[in-house]
Amino acid sequence: MSQRIPLSWLQLKHEKMKLFAAVSGVMVSVVLMWMQLGLMKALFASAVVFHGSLDGELVVIHSQYEHLLHSKPFSSRLLYRLRGSPDVEEVFSIFLAPVEWKNPWNGEMRSMQCYGIETDKPSLDLPGFAAQLGKLRETDAFLYDRMARPRFGDVVGANNRAETIEPEINRRKMLLSGIIDLGASFGVDGNILVSHANFLRLFPERKSGAIDVGVVKLKPGVSIDSAQKEFQDMLGKEVHVLTREQFKEVELVYWRSATPIGIIFTAGTAVGFFIGFIVVYQILYTDVSNHLPHYATMKAMGFSNGYLYGLVLEQSAQLAIMGFIPGTAVAALLYAGLRSVTQLPLVLEPTRGLFLGILTILMCMISGMLAVRKLAAADPADVF
Amino acid sequence: MNNLDLEPVICGEGINFAFGQGELRKQILFDVDIRIQPGEIVLLTGPSGSGKTTLLTLIAGLRTLQEGKLNVLGHSLYNASQRDLLALRRKIGFIFQAHNLLPYLTALQNVQVMFDLQPDVSPHEGRERAVEMLKVVGLGERMNYPVSRLSGGQKQRVAIARALVGGPQIVLADEPTAALDGTSGREVVNLLQGLAREQNRPILMVTHDARVLDIADRIIEMQDGRLISASETNQPSPHDTTKGASDERHVSPVTV
Repeated sequence: MSQRIPLSWLQLKHEKMKLFAAVSGVMVSVVLMWMQLGLMKALFASAVVFHGSLDGELVVIHSQYEHLLHSKPFSSRLLYRLRGSPDVEEVFSIFLAPVEWKNPWNGEMRSMQCYGIETDKPSLDLPGFAAQLGKLRETDAFLYDRMARPRFGDVVGANNRAETIEPEINRRKMLLSGIIDLGASFGVDGNILVSHANFLRLFPERKSGAIDVGVVKLKPGVSIDSAQKEFQDMLGKEVHVLTREQFKEVELVYWRSATPIGIIFTAGTAVGFFIGFIVVYQILYTDVSNHLPHYATMKAMGFSNGYLYGLVLEQSAQLAIMGFIPGTAVAALLYAGLRSVTQLPLVLEPTRGLFLGILTILMCMISGMLAVRKLAAADPADVF
Repeated sequence: MNNLDLEPVICGEGINFAFGQGELRKQILFDVDIRIQPGEIVLLTGPSGSGKTTLLTLIAGLRTLQEGKLNVLGHSLYNASQRDLLALRRKIGFIFQAHNLLPYLTALQNVQVMFDLQPDVSPHEGRERAVEMLKVVGLGERMNYPVSRLSGGQKQRVAIARALVGGPQIVLADEPTAALDGTSGREVVNLLQGLAREQNRPILMVTHDARVLDIADRIIEMQDGRLISASETNQPSPHDTTKGASDERHVSPVTV
């Protein structure tokens, strides 16, 4: 069977260089948008990996808690009162504080985030964590973040080679006992996990009764909302009882307001969009101009304006598709490269792909609709 | 049967047309009357600037009629809507001076694309009919050539195939031989005449070319925007058997 003649495509591919330029323009635009949105998402996601890993439905923090690096301890007795509730399965307490890490290879001092956790039961839901809990009970033992930035030294490599690593942390010689995946983010270049007892050894001035984060694990079937309300009333105004999502949101609100990251990356995405828009508009506009005599001929022969608009818009869609696919492939490569350098959780999410695909088609369509206005200049009476 | 008794395909009376406004107004056509009967081949001649092409564009529905009556294929063109003009143009086969083929298509694609105007014709049937038409104009061997690789005469034959493939009710041609040498020009008009006769299709052709005047049933001459004479070269009826001598040239397909 024969097909209808793919007029728009034949016209588009007639001039190979122009087609190449247009597709490249769309591609650059698509890559830019992927990068901007991906980095923004990854940066925000990286800030709440710890929050997401908490093995409990509710979180208790001091009412003046600002973010992970700026916590305010509260009395652990408040948290332990929740143990009396019939709705509660378990409560855990966590200490938070930045520590000074001395690079064992070059002696450089760097700041890291330190979590002091309970070692009787796993309070964090991280891969391989439960199995390493026993090691943490030893004096001066710590778990090191696999995704910590390389500036702390090649700790992971040394661990793989089974070398003994005894770095100074807060001027105290500690013993590496394992690796855990947590990840770096805005303010945090790397993390270590220690037991409560070892945390208090690193911070002699901290009191064991003043904790930073309380985690509440509810019994199965208990309503999170009503438990949250009940516990908040029970504990009073000194602390906030939050769901895990609300706890994440506290962190994200801080970073959104403290850094212009949202604005920068949204602006970057807009720049990508406009680059594509301008390139496609330029190409289609000159293309329509060059083909004006042909369009005038077609109008004279009875082709309607709608038919000709359709041709240009089909070309827009073709450019969008031809730019989007390789653009996404390039973005995937860049994501992989950046992931290994920055340890940021960059992923090609299908939903973002769909969003960017729609954005790309929209970008090309708007360009096409503007370029199409030039078609009005094709006067069929000029063909004779 | 005498064609003069039939409804004319083109009937114009008192057509006036001017470009520009006020001081700059320049009148091109003065009180032009024109009638073309079904099956008639009419040539429109006259010096440059005499208004031939303007008259042709008015008949084709490409310009707005300013004054007078003009009825083409049953469409009254005074105050006609764009939609109406478009519908009229779809019934006309156009042949242009510079062939005006789409350079990014092959010969076959240039002809087949006309069926985009006829949604009731399937792409398959459209292709078949385009192939047939190209064979008729003698380009069966070169259907899949890009038009850039065809000679001037071959291009104009593709243009004829394009104009006729959709079964137009009239053919309007503007200097179809102007860009061609004598032999190619002759071949092109013979082909056009032969096909028109075969399908009893009327042709209105603007031409300067004195070499091709003999194909006409009637020649209309224009000067300074007025029709000055209407001579009849042949008998009014295109079916008249007395034209046997010229019929030999109407044989199709043309061999290349």
